[in-house]
Amino acid sequence: MTATLTAERRSLLTHHPIGASTGYMYAIRGDWRALIAEAIELSPFAAELSVLSESEMEGLACFLADRPALPFRYLSIHGPSKGRTMSEPYLVEALIELAPHAESVVMHPDTMSDPEQYRRLGHKLVIENMDAGKLDGCTVEQLRTWFADVPLAGFCFDIAHAWSIDPSMDLARELLDEFGSRLRHVHVSSLSGDLHHVPLTEEHEELFMPLLERCLDVPWILEAPPRSPQTSA
Amino acid sequence: MKSRPLEQLAEACGREFKNLAKARQETEKKVEQRRTRIDKLNRCEDTSVVLMGSWGRSEVTSGSDDDYMILVNGAWRPEHEIDPSIDDVAQLLNQKPGREGAFGEIAFSDYLEKRIGLQEDDNNNLTRRMLLLLESRPILGDENHRVAQEKILDCYLRDARKPNSPPRLLLNDVVRYWRTICVDFAGKQRKRRGEGWGIRNAKLRTSRKLLFASGLLPILECPSDSHEGMRSFLLDRLRMPSTDRLARSFLDAGVPDVGGRTLGAYDEFIGRLDEASFRAALESVPREDGDRSDEFLEARRLGRAIQSGLLGLLFETDLLRSLVREFAIF
Repeated sequence: MTATLTAERRSLLTHHPIGASTGYMYAIRGDWRALIAEAIELSPFAAELSVLSESEMEGLACFLADRPALPFRYLSIHGPSKGRTMSEPYLVEALIELAPHAESVVMHPDTMSDPEQYRRLGHKLVIENMDAGKLDGCTVEQLRTWFADVPLAGFCFDIAHAWSIDPSMDLARELLDEFGSRLRHVHVSSLSGDLHHVPLTEEHEELFMPLLERCLDVPWILEAPPRSPQTSA
Repeated sequence: MKSRPLEQLAEACGREFKNLAKARQETEKKVEQRRTRIDKLNRCEDTSVVLMGSWGRSEVTSGSDDDYMILVNGAWRPEHEIDPSIDDVAQLLNQKPGREGAFGEIAFSDYLEKRIGLQEDDNNNLTRRMLLLLESRPILGDENHRVAQEKILDCYLRDARKPNSPPRLLLNDVVRYWRTICVDFAGKQRKRRGEGWGIRNAKLRTSRKLLFASGLLPILECPSDSHEGMRSFLLDRLRMPSTDRLARSFLDAGVPDVGGRTLGAYDEFIGRLDEASFRAALESVPREDGDRSDEFLEARRLGRAIQSGLLGLLFETDLLRSLVREFAIF
């Protein structure tokens, strides 16, 4: 059967499930109803609710406490990586309160210090690999230490972060070789010169696709809006 | 010696499936024990004793039941003319078979192969036929079992002669079987007032779903340019444990990482199921407490990973996506 059928070239938006991170929706930040509505525009199947700043956590907790009817089959919550004032035990306690609403809680390892606190999140904790501007969570060795300390944690593969450290994509391959068994979802975007997430370029889509094809079973979360037709021309 | 597909997948994805490997060893050991016991019984020439379920999948764990049937390779005849008898076998095996009547009974291969579809193909007949094809292991009368399996497959393939098309009758019956399991899950819930909800739900999400996929995939993948090629491909696959069939499919589709995560999640489930406390907790959790049971939440998490992996294989790979679209829905 299979020999008679022609293989198609995969493109980013044909993947299922794909989802939006609310982190790129700057104009409506804090308005969770509007953020959810915009995420659903991209996909009602997966999304990431991003509280990049600690000050946003209370708003999300209040929003989720009302048990809004959300359509997503996969929902992650991105924990804060900026504006941190809470002590780690309080922060983790707040994340534990949010965790039942989501499949996973994503954290940046360079913002974590006491693994014992985070172990309380169990399988819900997902650790993301970091970009070239960070001091921890970037390399296989650094992440191996983290996963040894929080053994139940999953892996969020940020492909652009890996590219920022090694544009040959060897690091990205090594990360998948080493931590692929823990993979829960993928962050997809390109990066600006100052390492901010920007829409995936055509060039990066081509470069990243062989690695993304190793991640066909997990959600791909866009950390920047999809490329507009004008920019892809 | 050539390694089995599950071992090849382990090598390709760089992870071990320790619990599945242990369960395979346990299965072989316990099959031999049961063979030794049952070998002492009188046996009619056309009769087999066949273990089903986790035995057929080579996934026996500490709490596995001895789900068995006596298979007569031929037409119906009275029970008193059949050796060994149900009682003889029941005395030598450890556990009582399931309540719904598909196991611990005599099955006649004529019924299994000639009653495909229509009224006479009742729930038990369909279940026995599917389990005989997808997850059965003889402990007495191996040759009868082999012949019966081939006869059933031949009945499905008799009219499968359309070029570039999978064997539709078999495809439809495997899909029918899966949907029947799902509908029966709800039926059992009502009949038993929720008793055993947790373990049945967990198995539906894991073992039963994987069994269905392991039947569906070879049907979609089999060569359709020659009847003999199709037949030998299917026989070869159906004689593998279901996890080998799945591993083969992940490898052939070129997605060992996805296969590693899928069967890795199942490996974890099998490991947990081998813990008496985990199994007991699943057996006792009612539906209304599912969200508060750590064990059920664990089983659900693993079940979701398994489903994601299977969906990735079926809908996100070049080789299978078109086949699923073309044949698996309508």
